[in-house]
Formats: sequence, structure tokens, C-alpha cells
Amino acid sequence: MSNRTLPRLLQTPAVILLLIWMLVPLSMTLYFSFIRYVLNSSRRPEWMSPSLSNWRGFGNYQYVLEAKDFWFAIQNSVFIVSSILICTVVLGLGIAVLVNKSFPGRGIVRVLLISPFFVMPAVNAVLWINMILDPVLGLQGIAVGGINDTIEGLRDFPVLGAFFNLWPTFEPISFRATQTSAYAVIMMVAWQWTPFAVLIFMTSLQSEDESQKEAATLDGASAWSQFINLTVPHLARPIAIVVMIQSIFHLSLYAEIEIVSRGSGNKNLPYLIGEFTNNNIGAASATGIFAVILANIIAIFLLRMVGKSLMD
Amino acid sequence: MATVSQSSKLGNVLWPALAWTIALVFFFPIFWLVFTSFKTDADAVKPEFLFFFTPTLENYTNMTQNYDYWRFATNSVITSSFATLFALVVGVPAAYAMAFNPSRHTKDILMWMLSTKMLPAAAVLYPMTFLTKNMLQIYDTHFLVILVLCLINLPIVIWMLFTYFKEIPKEIIEAGKMDGVNTWGEIKDILIPLAWGGIASTALLTFIFCWNEAYWTVRLTTIDAATLSTLIEGNRAPEGLFFGRLAAVSTAAVAPIVILGWFCQKQLVAGLTFGAVK
Repeated sequence: MSNRTLPRLLQTPAVILLLIWMLVPLSMTLYFSFIRYVLNSSRRPEWMSPSLSNWRGFGNYQYVLEAKDFWFAIQNSVFIVSSILICTVVLGLGIAVLVNKSFPGRGIVRVLLISPFFVMPAVNAVLWINMILDPVLGLQGIAVGGINDTIEGLRDFPVLGAFFNLWPTFEPISFRATQTSAYAVIMMVAWQWTPFAVLIFMTSLQSEDESQKEAATLDGASAWSQFINLTVPHLARPIAIVVMIQSIFHLSLYAEIEIVSRGSGNKNLPYLIGEFTNNNIGAASATGIFAVILANIIAIFLLRMVGKSLMD
Repeated sequence: MATVSQSSKLGNVLWPALAWTIALVFFFPIFWLVFTSFKTDADAVKPEFLFFFTPTLENYTNMTQNYDYWRFATNSVITSSFATLFALVVGVPAAYAMAFNPSRHTKDILMWMLSTKMLPAAAVLYPMTFLTKNMLQIYDTHFLVILVLCLINLPIVIWMLFTYFKEIPKEIIEAGKMDGVNTWGEIKDILIPLAWGGIASTALLTFIFCWNEAYWTVRLTTIDAATLSTLIEGNRAPEGLFFGRLAAVSTAAVAPIVILGWFCQKQLVAGLTFGAVK
């Protein structure tokens, strides 16, 4: 018995470190969420340092719940995360099935496909919003300009020109604008995370029972019905895991939102917390607690799934 | 029969062609970034030089002058390497203990460790700033960035190592015990040589995650310990005037990691799904 004590003690540094890391900042957030605490207030300087005498009860929570930005941030988070999920899972499934067959250059195809995942978020955002999506100087602007010039040129042709006269002049889309910035973020994040879905689905496809498929082929089942009836159920678990892991990551998107539009028209909870943190720490902390609760709802399901496969 | 062989012949060409097309489309933005980095700032925004231009290395040679690239890159290398090292130093003994001397609580401890990884960082943004700036005065130091990077990756490190260590037959470790080897000897002389591959790929993946970390490294640094994430985020909106130089510095920031990433695709699955997809 005692010769196991030392080996077991070896896990204590990790446990203690993570315990401090989890508990200290989070309990401060919890504390701040119940007091009045602002960084700049000439009217009430006593609110400028954390103190129990500034107790506000659930006042910060009420304030946050009544803030328009909060509900917008929740709505927008759900919109962004679910759009990214749909794109990555659908594309990921298709590509994984496609690349799972063997063909010449498959190794290179895999390397090309996985690469976006390793691009750091800041570079991803800078690259997309400037060099690709910029309405004037990016590829989008150049492409739209090119199309317009072509149409313009074709209008001078006899007969055909009348047809092209009916065509409108296309306007490039500004993805930094309030109405469109969320789409830019969805696009760049989906580009980055589709490879992740592909990789996981491919790993899982390799463990698919081939004999079942052969039997289905002999029974005359089409490729499509095999995909729907055999492959998709086999992938149910990896799909669930991809969905949950991505949800947790994408609920805390920050760099992309900051770089694309500085949150204009496209806030999520972390971004809102960042804005509150400039002054109203109480509100920032209450929002933080909401974010923790939201993440935990997903984390519980994910952990349960992970736990099942842990000990076997 | 004829139709089958015909369609499969067509399929033999179509499927690979489709796969290649999709792969190239996905890789295109990265290609475009690298491609743009060889254009001058003036050429980069001119449609007439879209594909044909005189390539130049000036964006790379001026990178130090334009962006002070090497200072940020050095910070990234230092913080990512030490964070990886410390995570392994703490993680290897912990994973050893859990894999070879599990208790009733081992599973719960592992799950709890993972749950710390799932807490939204933004929720503790102000407390972290407050603690490090006002109380401990370690804001914007390498020490802080290393500590934070180490802590946020520790759960994944322990998990990955645990899955690798579990594959090693217990008897080998037990045999060492019979020969009178102490715990430290078991780890150093038996476990580490046996699990070398697993430890190396864990280190590689951790390094990648540290390098790409974009929340804490940006928010807990200003100048002294700022990493490449901070550099790029600080130059987010060049208004088109500096596409060439921005592309070059971005390429330099991601190239080492993308190339490293090519070598650890397999480990990525284990590391990111916590062993739940095999």
C-alpha cells in the first residue's frame, strides 16, 4: 500500500496548479459579480475599488439581463456557432468520404487540406478580411471589378449587347460592415475548422466495418443509401464530439471578431465581457458567470462522452 | 457489367480530380498569403499584377525594420518552448501516476482537469489582469505568459500522455520495481525511453497550441513579452496600403507551425478529442 503513496503524490503538483488556476480567478469573478465595481467614476469614487461595502446582490446580473447588447451577444453567438457547425460538419463529412478512398497523391491532398487548421487565428483573420474579402483591394473587389468590366465590354456587341444591358453592375460586399461582419467571421472560422472535422471523420471512417459495406453492395444498395444508412450512423459519435468541441472553442471566439470589425454588429459574450471590462467590472463579471454556465452546459455532455471511452 | 466498369472508370478520374480541387481550394488562401508576400506593397493591390509580377524579397528583408518581427518571434519561441517544457515536467509524473497507479478517483481527476480547459477564458479576464498587474506585478513578463500557456495546455498534455502511457504493459514497470528501481528511476529509465514517441508528439502539439494562442498572450502583454499573435492583431487594418509586407510577416508567423503541423496530424485527433475518437 505504502509503496503506492509516492507514485500517487506525483500527480499533486498538476492538481494543485490547475486547482489554483481554476479557483482563484473564478472566485474573484464571482465576488466582483455581486459588488458595484467600476474603474472610472468621478461621482462615486468608493466604487472604484472592490469592497464588500459595495455589495449589490444580483444587481449586476439584472443589469446585464436588461442590457440589449447581452441578448444580442447571445443570439449572435448562437448564430455564428451554429452556422460554423453546419458548414464544417457538412463539408467535413463530404471531404472525409472523398479523401478516404485511395488515389494518386492522397498524402499531399491530406497535407493541403489540414494546413488551414494550423494558421494562427490572428493571421487567419488578417488574411481573409484584407487580402481576400476587401471590397476594393482584396480578391473579392478585384473579381467583382473584373466581372463588371467584362459585362461593360460585352454591352457594345450587337444583339448580345442588348442581353447584357439587362445585367446589373455588381457591388462588392464590405465585410467590415455591421450587417456582414458576422458572415466574414463564419467564413474564416469554417475554413479553419473544416480540416479538423475532416481529420476526425477520416480517423473514424478507417474503423468502419468494410464487410458490412460489401454486403450492402451485393444487396444492390446504392452508394448514397450506404452513406446514409451505414456511414452516417457510424459517424454519429464523432459528429457529436466535433460539434461539442467546436461549440466550446467557438463560443470564445475573440481575435477574429476583433480584427474583422472590432465587434461592430458582431459581438459575442467574450467580446461583450471585454467591452464591459473597460469600465464596469461588476457587469463584466456577471456576464462572465453567464458565459461559464453556457460553456458548462455543453461541457457536461462532452465530458460524459469522453468519460465513456476513457477507461477502455 | 459494362455500365459498372464504365462508371467506375469515370469515377477513377472524377473522385481524385474532385478531391484535388477541394484540397487546392482549401489551400488557396495560404498560397495567396505566401504569393502576396513576394509582391511589393504597390503591386499587391494592382489588379494588373494579380498573377504576373516581379517577385521581390524586400518584404522579408524589411521585416525587422517594418514590424520588429524578430523580437516578437523570439518571444513566441521562448514562451512556447518553456511552456511546453514545464507542462511536460509537471505532466509526465502526473500521467505516470494516473496510468500505472490509478486510484478510485483517477477518472474523476482526469475529467475535472479537462473541465478546466472548457472554462471560457474571457470570464476571468479582469481578475487575471488585476492579479497580474496590481497584485503580483508580473503583467507583460515572459514568466506570466509561460505560466498561463503551461496551465491552459496542461490538461491536454496530461490526457495525451495518459493515453500513451496506458498502452505500455504494466508488467514492464512492475519488473523494474522488482529489480529495486525507485520511482524516479522507473520514470527516467523505463517509462520515458518506452514512451518517447508519445512524449515527443505531445510536446509538438503543445508547442503548436502555445504558438497559436491568441487570447491570453494578447491580453496579458503589451510590449516586453508580446508574441506574434499580438504583433499581427496590432496590425489588423493596414487599409490596403501594406498588403505585401503584412503578407510577409504573416507568412513568417505561421510557416514554422503549419510545417510542424504536417507532421502531427494523427496526434492532433487524439489531442483535440481527448481520446474519444480512435
